[in-house]
Amino acid sequence: MPREIITLQLGQCGNQIGMEFWKQLCAEHGISPEGILEEYATEGTDRKDVFFYQADDEHYIPRSVLLDLEPRVINGIMNSPYANLYNPENVYLSKHGGGAGNNWASGYSQAERLYDEIFDIIDREADGSDSLEGFVVCHSIAGGTGSGMGSYILERLNDRFPKKLTQTYSVFPNVDEISDVVVQPYNSLLTLKRLTQNADCVVVLDNTALNRIAADRLHIDTPTFAQVNQLVSTVMATSTTTLRYPGYMNNDLIGLIASLIPTPRLHFLMTGYTPLTTDSQVANVRKTTVLDVMRRLLQPKNMMVSTPVQRQGSNHCYISILNIIQGEVDPTQVHKSLQRIRERKLAQFIPWGPASIQVALSRKSPYVQSAHRVSGLMLANHTNISHLFDRILKQYDKLRKREAFMDQFKKESMFSENLDEFDNARESLQELVNEYTAATRPDYLTWGSQQAAVS
Amino acid sequence: MSEFTIHHNANELMTQLEVRSSAPVGAEVYAEKLLQNRTPFVTTQISSSQAKRRIAATTETPIEFFAKYDDLKSKNVRDIDPLVHLLSKLGKEEEVKYVLSQHAEKQAKKEGLQLYPPRNFTSQLPTSGTKMTEEELSQVQDLLKQAKVVDTSSKFLTKVLREKPLNRNVNLPQIPDGFFQNPQLTLDFFDDGDPNLDEDIVGLGTLPLFSQEYLIMEDLLVLMRGIEGKYIRPMPLSERYAAREFLIDQSLDVSTQTLVQRILPLCANYSTVVRFIEEKSLFEYGLVNHALSAAMQTLIKDYMVLIVQLEQQLNLGQLTLQKMCFYLQPTMNLLDILASVANSINRGKCIGGAVLSLLHEKTASMIGDSRSSQLLLFLTQSACAPYMELVGKWIYRGIIVDPYAEFMVEENEAFNKEKLQEEYNDAYWEKHYSVFRERIPVFLEQVADKILNTGKYLNVVRQCGRDVRCPFAEELVYTIKERRYYDQIERAYSYASQLLLTLLIEEKELVARLKSIKHYFLLDKGDFIVQFMDMTEMEMKQHIDDILPSRLESLLELALRTSTANVDPFKDDLRVDLLPFDLTSQLLQIIAIDSNREKEYRIDPTDIRLSGLESFTFDYVVKWPTSLVISRKALIRYQILFRHLFYCKHVERQLCSVWKGNMQAKAYARSRWYTAAFALRQRMLNFVQNFEYYMMFEVIEPNWHDFQQNMAKVSNVDDVLAFHGDFLDCCLKDCMLTSTELLRIVHKLLVVCVTFSNYVQRVSHATSVEAEQERLRDSTLQVTLSNKERKEDAQKKKTATQVLAQHVDHILEDENFEKTIVSFDTNFSRHLLELLDKIMDENTKTYEHKLFNIIYRLDFNGFYTEKLEAMSAERAMADYPLMQESKNTSKSSSSSSLTSFTTQHSESARYVPGQYKSKP
Repeated sequence: MPREIITLQLGQCGNQIGMEFWKQLCAEHGISPEGILEEYATEGTDRKDVFFYQADDEHYIPRSVLLDLEPRVINGIMNSPYANLYNPENVYLSKHGGGAGNNWASGYSQAERLYDEIFDIIDREADGSDSLEGFVVCHSIAGGTGSGMGSYILERLNDRFPKKLTQTYSVFPNVDEISDVVVQPYNSLLTLKRLTQNADCVVVLDNTALNRIAADRLHIDTPTFAQVNQLVSTVMATSTTTLRYPGYMNNDLIGLIASLIPTPRLHFLMTGYTPLTTDSQVANVRKTTVLDVMRRLLQPKNMMVSTPVQRQGSNHCYISILNIIQGEVDPTQVHKSLQRIRERKLAQFIPWGPASIQVALSRKSPYVQSAHRVSGLMLANHTNISHLFDRILKQYDKLRKREAFMDQFKKESMFSENLDEFDNARESLQELVNEYTAATRPDYLTWGSQQAAVS
Repeated sequence: MSEFTIHHNANELMTQLEVRSSAPVGAEVYAEKLLQNRTPFVTTQISSSQAKRRIAATTETPIEFFAKYDDLKSKNVRDIDPLVHLLSKLGKEEEVKYVLSQHAEKQAKKEGLQLYPPRNFTSQLPTSGTKMTEEELSQVQDLLKQAKVVDTSSKFLTKVLREKPLNRNVNLPQIPDGFFQNPQLTLDFFDDGDPNLDEDIVGLGTLPLFSQEYLIMEDLLVLMRGIEGKYIRPMPLSERYAAREFLIDQSLDVSTQTLVQRILPLCANYSTVVRFIEEKSLFEYGLVNHALSAAMQTLIKDYMVLIVQLEQQLNLGQLTLQKMCFYLQPTMNLLDILASVANSINRGKCIGGAVLSLLHEKTASMIGDSRSSQLLLFLTQSACAPYMELVGKWIYRGIIVDPYAEFMVEENEAFNKEKLQEEYNDAYWEKHYSVFRERIPVFLEQVADKILNTGKYLNVVRQCGRDVRCPFAEELVYTIKERRYYDQIERAYSYASQLLLTLLIEEKELVARLKSIKHYFLLDKGDFIVQFMDMTEMEMKQHIDDILPSRLESLLELALRTSTANVDPFKDDLRVDLLPFDLTSQLLQIIAIDSNREKEYRIDPTDIRLSGLESFTFDYVVKWPTSLVISRKALIRYQILFRHLFYCKHVERQLCSVWKGNMQAKAYARSRWYTAAFALRQRMLNFVQNFEYYMMFEVIEPNWHDFQQNMAKVSNVDDVLAFHGDFLDCCLKDCMLTSTELLRIVHKLLVVCVTFSNYVQRVSHATSVEAEQERLRDSTLQVTLSNKERKEDAQKKKTATQVLAQHVDHILEDENFEKTIVSFDTNFSRHLLELLDKIMDENTKTYEHKLFNIIYRLDFNGFYTEKLEAMSAERAMADYPLMQESKNTSKSSSSSSLTSFTTQHSESARYVPGQYKSKP
């Protein structure tokens, strides 16, 4: 009776990062691409059953549902060595295969039509687990399927499983390069409303930052999808490591994220990872210590979100931090590092409540060799994430002023009568930005009531 | 001496001196002081003679004192030197003397005795000191009196042997009656009390000198074999161990008489030695005395040969008295030594180890005289042989074959290993085998503990059903100089400890077992705990009487099988247990045991209703010999830690489920009612999680790490026990489980958290029930809805949500939700600040930095700092009016110094973030 987690991979992007995630998990648990446990991995001090279940012939099957409206990526998976890993019943491809055309509304309404089929799969998975802890949704917020279908599924998940947690790994679009998806701001805005209202925890994976990290830190000029996705899968795998390699604490998802999210709506988390390497790179000549790792994690350049963490002239601050440290760690070093960080004031915290850097020490997979003694992942709740939303709002306003590309949306039933949904979503997102800003001030706790009094 | 013995003795002393009522502190304070300042007392010739001289200088009757001392010393009374030393010290302490004299006066008055004048008091000290042995003295006197009544030594012996009840627990074989019925069965002179004077004997004086000499020589040769002569007659013994005296025909020529007088002590010594041999050969005197007698017997045999040779000479007419004197010279010396040994042993009533100590000392003192020292060495070695064999059996095989209770180690059958599971102390290990100090020969005193432990270790191995034979086993031989036996004992010891350690660590997998215990009791295997708590959630909420232990047992089993604990080979030894008291009261009682405040914490067991959660604990089945290390006492400590951690986990879970409930509010934009509650929940969660982090990663894990490292290089089992004990003690102490004050605050904090989460859950339950109904109605509709209608439905839902939000607002206003939250908030803050304050206080008091770490964690961003500063400022303010008063009353100079002192104090007590530096 583990606390199972079901992964939903939506759309092109979601399936791609999902696949990398499963690859990583298989490697860490010593499971072959066919789902068979490798001979060297039979000692079993890890928990595979959080993410996998065993079929009758004992081979491991991911608790994963693959959904897409167009066949390209899923077909790619099905032609890869990992084709036999997944339960074929859990792979759902829209029959007409036309995709959502990068249109949120199209994705949303198609998902609405496919409701029964999709939730047949999800229900079956949920019933197959003893004590389901929650869902993890992988998707992007800019495209059509991931955002539209994702939004719909988030809403429905909330209705059908109100007691279960919903965590999402949401990929935010790259703002550095001109996107081929012109309606990106529309899609993002509409998805963000659902992420705010229907998800319990959103891990923000910012393509801008990921590409920048790949270019700057890993010295890859034009990072490929695979390379960027490997970063993502590392983050995803590491953030679940305490669930899979149990230790003293943080052995369930709720314990992991509850302390990170003090108030329900401020649940957008940034990540940071160090030391970063890709396969091609040889290990740096670097001595990794706990302090070193923890200090690096606080550096903006290691953050996988493209907002300057310490902007000049603003008092944005950390609401909470959880560091997951892996490797050979002397527990006494943790305290010293915390002390040092505190003395040097390396991190700015909220003024309205106690906040600290929590450090979860976790074991490493014995089957994956790493060049570093210690590695660390930071999950942080920082008020500065509102910067991302702000950016989306601005882009949206620009488009909206011109009523650009609205025709595609108006085709769908949701927007056929009016565009209230847009205004609604904008208002909701604006409020989120406001709340994040308010959280930087000491009077945040009375902010809600002030707002209510004003309105 | 263990802590408890000291405590007991201090207590007794206080009662004896009647200082109990007036003393402000209990015996435990003295005991503690004694424990700290105790140094082993080493007697040297110099120190004891100095002490003697010091006492003699203060006393008015030094001669009596010296006489008494020598008397006691010759009786080989144990610990006389330390006592004299103590007395000499006491003589210098005027205060103590005064108190003691006062007390003595009182006592004397009570008993109607006359007291020595106070100025004479010190002089009486030594005598009063020797009262310790007064009983012994009186016993000796009684014996002596008895001896006077009995005419012959052999009769006396018979009587003593028959009548004396054996106070030692040895089973002696029966001695046949015939043994006592023939009094003439002795090599000694036979006194029948009837001087059968031969009528034919003519006075020696009437004979010529030549004949006189011949006759007297004949007599002497007879006397030397223990038969009375014609002209020299043995006197009856005045007491049992007295030296034999002789009557000589006074008419003997004077010059011859002088020579005879010179030889006669030989006869007396012979008599003593022979008596000694005969007496000590009896069963009850033990192996050592038997061996010593046997050795003496061989010497006596040589002596007999000499006498026969002399007789031969005499018959050939080649012997003169002068010659005889010359020939006997070395033998006289020999017998003299033998007799003195015999006398000392008789006087001290030595048996076993004491005999050996005495012989050892005598040998050491004779070191200059090579012949005598060789003789004594022979005696000592022979006497040692059986004892060394005992030692050898014990240290090489772990067996005690000790029919006469001479060996220094004794087995106490009352403590057996089966009890280890139930016993709350280490009694088995401590008391199953014990050393009797008075039975240790002095030359083994240094290695006594080693000898004890060696055998103890071997015994553990033997009790596991294995026969042990030390590969280094060789005969132990007493030597005066080289002390080869030290090396042998050392080697046996290291072998035994190695053997047991290997048995425990490799065969019984002690380390793995400890790890397994750590998984369960210290929540190392988090997923197992989570799973277990998930499954038993309903059970744990119930009252203790309603819980079926068998159900818990089966749930535990399930949790073990389905979590990573499944790979633990020892998982089946884990059990569940429900205790009839909660952790706090248990701990407070344990802590209160050593203080006088015990009664305060006694609670009536009937008036508490315990839930399963509070009474639950794991138990662990430990088998021999692992139970030596993981004894009940250790397990109890593990359980205490477990219950503490378990409760914290529970609180964390509660708060997490509150969080989950709260997350539903994310859909309602701008719900103003929640923020305060959320913030409080967050603070509580922050506290609980950080507290857990602190305990797990800063207390348990580092201590465990150290423990593991120590275990890796441990060389004997006693160290294992010590390290294990240290580990647990450190954990308990740093988890604040040993301080009543801190523990209480922590407990209160946790209770506040639980009450809060219960309250919030109740409130949100009320709202969620309605939400659920709403939702159900929706979803039933939804099934039949077409796509088009679904949109409408969504619209409806939205309104429903709004209605619900308003509804929630309504409820919350009704219930004074805000007020309640605020009161929770103040309660929590008060306790938390109290805790932080206490920790800081503790920190300044004890300079113990470990606890300080928790402040770092709890107050990482300095959120509580201001409040704490305010608190310490308040305290300073509270001190201030007092100072003002003192300023008014006392002189300005003194009050100003006082002021500065107080401000300094408050300054140092204040907690300033960032200024705190860890110790280098």
